[in-house]
Amino acid sequence: MQAFRYLRPATVEEALGLLEEHGDKARLLAGGTDLVIELRNRWRTPEVVVDLKRIEELRPAIRVEGKRLVITAGTVMGDLERHPTVLERFPALAEAAAVVGSVQIRNRATLAGNICNGSPAADTTPPLLVYGAEMVIASRTERRRMPIDEFVIGPGKVALGPAEMVVAIELPMDRPIAAAYTRMTRRHGTDLASITLCCGVDSKGTTRLAYGSVGPRALLVMDESGVLADPKANREQKAPVLAALFAKASPSPTSMRAGPEYRVAMLPVLGARALATALERLGKTA
Amino acid sequence: MKDQGGIGARAHRIGGVGRVTGAQQYVADIPVADVLHAKLVTLDCAHARIVSIDKSAAEALPGVHFVMTADDLPKPMPRFGPEYQDRPVMADGETKYHGEAVAAVVADTKDLAEEAVRLVKVEYEVLPAIHSLEAALAPDAVLVQDPAIRRPGPNVDSNILSEYHFGWGDVDAAAKEADIVVEHTYDWPSQTQFAIEPHGFIAAPDDDGIVVWSSIQHPYQLQKTVAKVLGLPMAKVRVFAPDPGGAFGGKQHTKLEPLVAFLALRAGRPVRLILTLEEAFQAVRRTGARIKVRTGIKRDGTLVFQDFENHFLIGCYADTGDRVSAKGSFLSAGPYRTPAVRIVSRSILSHTTPTHPMRGFGIPQVTWARESNLDEAAIAAGVDRLEIRLKNLVKYGEEHVPGDTPADGDWAQTVRKAAAEIKWGTPLPQGQGRGIAIGVKSGPTTGLSYSTVRFLADGSAIVFSGTSDMGQGARTIYAQIVAEELGISLDCVAVVMGDTAVVPYDQQTSASRSSVLMGNAVLNACRDIQRKLRARIAEMEEIADAAITIDRGVMRIADREEPLPVVLARVLGRMGGEVVGNGEARKDAIAEHPLGGTALFFEFNCTAVDVAVDEETGETTVLKQITVGDVGFALNPVQVTGQDEGAAIMGMGQTLMEHLIWGPDGRTRNLGAIDYRIPTSLDLPKELHSFSIENADGPGPYGVKGISEGSLLCTAPAIAAAVRDATGAVIRDLPLSPERVWRALKERT
Repeated sequence: MQAFRYLRPATVEEALGLLEEHGDKARLLAGGTDLVIELRNRWRTPEVVVDLKRIEELRPAIRVEGKRLVITAGTVMGDLERHPTVLERFPALAEAAAVVGSVQIRNRATLAGNICNGSPAADTTPPLLVYGAEMVIASRTERRRMPIDEFVIGPGKVALGPAEMVVAIELPMDRPIAAAYTRMTRRHGTDLASITLCCGVDSKGTTRLAYGSVGPRALLVMDESGVLADPKANREQKAPVLAALFAKASPSPTSMRAGPEYRVAMLPVLGARALATALERLGKTA
Repeated sequence: MKDQGGIGARAHRIGGVGRVTGAQQYVADIPVADVLHAKLVTLDCAHARIVSIDKSAAEALPGVHFVMTADDLPKPMPRFGPEYQDRPVMADGETKYHGEAVAAVVADTKDLAEEAVRLVKVEYEVLPAIHSLEAALAPDAVLVQDPAIRRPGPNVDSNILSEYHFGWGDVDAAAKEADIVVEHTYDWPSQTQFAIEPHGFIAAPDDDGIVVWSSIQHPYQLQKTVAKVLGLPMAKVRVFAPDPGGAFGGKQHTKLEPLVAFLALRAGRPVRLILTLEEAFQAVRRTGARIKVRTGIKRDGTLVFQDFENHFLIGCYADTGDRVSAKGSFLSAGPYRTPAVRIVSRSILSHTTPTHPMRGFGIPQVTWARESNLDEAAIAAGVDRLEIRLKNLVKYGEEHVPGDTPADGDWAQTVRKAAAEIKWGTPLPQGQGRGIAIGVKSGPTTGLSYSTVRFLADGSAIVFSGTSDMGQGARTIYAQIVAEELGISLDCVAVVMGDTAVVPYDQQTSASRSSVLMGNAVLNACRDIQRKLRARIAEMEEIADAAITIDRGVMRIADREEPLPVVLARVLGRMGGEVVGNGEARKDAIAEHPLGGTALFFEFNCTAVDVAVDEETGETTVLKQITVGDVGFALNPVQVTGQDEGAAIMGMGQTLMEHLIWGPDGRTRNLGAIDYRIPTSLDLPKELHSFSIENADGPGPYGVKGISEGSLLCTAPAIAAAVRDATGAVIRDLPLSPERVWRALKERT
């Protein structure tokens, strides 16, 4: 590990001031479950590490504000997988949070960090895409909201300036979507996924599918024909619609986790399974 | 005496609490005054010619003591190895595998050493690397080893390190008698031992000698090697071998200790080198193998012949690759009565990590092939897969390799137990399947262990043993034997290990030998104490030695019984002192035997599994895994079950997910835990049951046999057979990843 300055601001303002001062020589530490490994292996060598864990504004973890669920940047996966509102209204997010790393990692790793790290295999990206999450981004001059679909760019890249930070992730509570998360891994214990996938359906018959780990970023696609969400449509009718939604998958040919042909073949299998669970959930809420 | 923690007791692991609480000190944790830290400089390729090394920038960094390269070592480069002295202390002009050190930095701190490594400028020319059997055996293949350092022989101008021919009968003649002949080739990938504690080393100058700490299985062989490389008398080399945090064969022989010793001598101070997990992957691995099997049977399933051609892909230095291929192949034909067997085995050099032994020692690879092919023959003949095994299995005392150690157990009892527990023959739901397989492995073919036991004045005892307790629980076993023989409770026994200056010689900790060989040495040391007590009592009471018997901690003279601690107190009298016993156990070499000796005992296991296969994804779930081992006698039943379950789970992981992946340039692509997956607690079989057959018929104390590898030997063929039974998909290479099973499902006819 290369030596760095460790700073621990008490407020968001203070943290943003440090970012403005040090620019891209600084790196934010939320849970540190990615950053510490990068530091240890010298994959990143920031001069300044800004620890956000003592910032009061980034707690408490999860609250309802009007028609939004606000998840502050300090919220860890363990908070999400156990939170009653998340479990009730956004079960796919709870499911994704529950498979990140191990118990120890989930007690440390934040949702905001998972997204800002920009991994194509991030478990929580697909459910956030399906639920229509917005990133709340702060700089010294303003706070803005950005849909997660615009925020996520590619491997390790998100739409965040050097003097900006994510302070919260918000989920709309006035758009009921019944969703389910699933993934494909090499083993059941701690693993990085070779496919991440979330499927959501709403009462209007729109199906949203988000899938990751099969291209540079997780993709959100929609079926507005109503075929997928139609409980009367059979497997044969749904198959071509589902297949079309995965047309943009481009898994890496050199990945060690699984071959591209297999990953492409597994997308509709996982898609159909998540869709079935989502429809089941929609039926229960209706 | 079970209630005092003697033999047969479910005694708690000595050192177990320290292990699970983190209190145990591994090589990385041991405080050493003035210690410096080393880090290796390696290249990002497998095979390269070193053009130049510029260490000036690294050495200019404050806190860096020096950078050592091959130029700083004696000429010619000292080489060592357990069978072939072909491994250099450091890469000598050329790297032969990804991760081979070309230089080593010594600095005040680990971080500084890491930083300095990045400042060492190595100019090198990448050369073509061989990492497959095809490439190694191609007629125009680059030679991995310079013929000048090879032993003379017919293969010296090829990448074949060694070739063995075993067998009996006339396979070609027998082939004419067979009704059904099945031939296939089975692949076993290269894998890594994955001990949780990566290898660690410390060396410190000590007056006119040296002290070396290493997490090693064979401290006495390390002592000999370091003495030879440094030109020191063995008495001037002291090896501390702290209990390793797992080893699985990967910590048997000398690796980087000679280099660390040279670093320490140059520094004039202690130097510590702790490998990362990634570096441990580059230090050792299990050899991959390709096994071609031809099995001939009669229509009723009777074996007529077995024909094997085994290729083991070993690393660039021999290490134990030759021995693994020979010893693994010797039992290719398994525990069966086969009139004609032909075995050709070759160990093939490649530009890959030197291959070290791993749990099973070549037997899992050949068993995977033999048992799978036997299943194919049974299915072709329409004979039940359990029946074909029972029909051909040798009986108690019958030879399975003519002229060698005969079956030393009622092996049919083991197989029948496994079959009964899995409910062989009962129907399974759609999508599920069942498999059964048998593994047999020779225990040690030679061995030599000494032990000293000191019976102290208060009736407590210290046992000295050169075994390495790497998690198998050897300390507990020896303490139980001492408790039993001296009639004292287990908590009155201390076990001293891991110091070659204090503890008498032990050949090695491998081949599941220690309970048998060192166990007998400890037992004999206790008997030596008993003899001395008896002689002294005979003198004191003026009776004949023969009138006194001592057995299991109790002395008997006519009708009088006296516990040994009481006898000891009488013998020592007011002066106190102690009674010291020495014990020895040996298995002599046999010069003319192809393996240098016959098997001391066999590890025999039968594994039966039920699996479910997801036909859409190819995912295999082991629903139930039954493992039955012929253990002789369970000296500590908890430890026996623990070892057996550990081997079963490791076997399942090696079957379903583990493999090293090499890039076209010979680089190991999946270095470390992220992309080399082993099972977690969430990946265990839904049910795992371990059973022991105990007939007290082993050569160790009280009838013990070694047991630590058995259930790994045949897990793979049992699981693959169950997948086939469930789906019809036939898979002949490992691991049985969902992707591979999915492909096989698509290709099934």
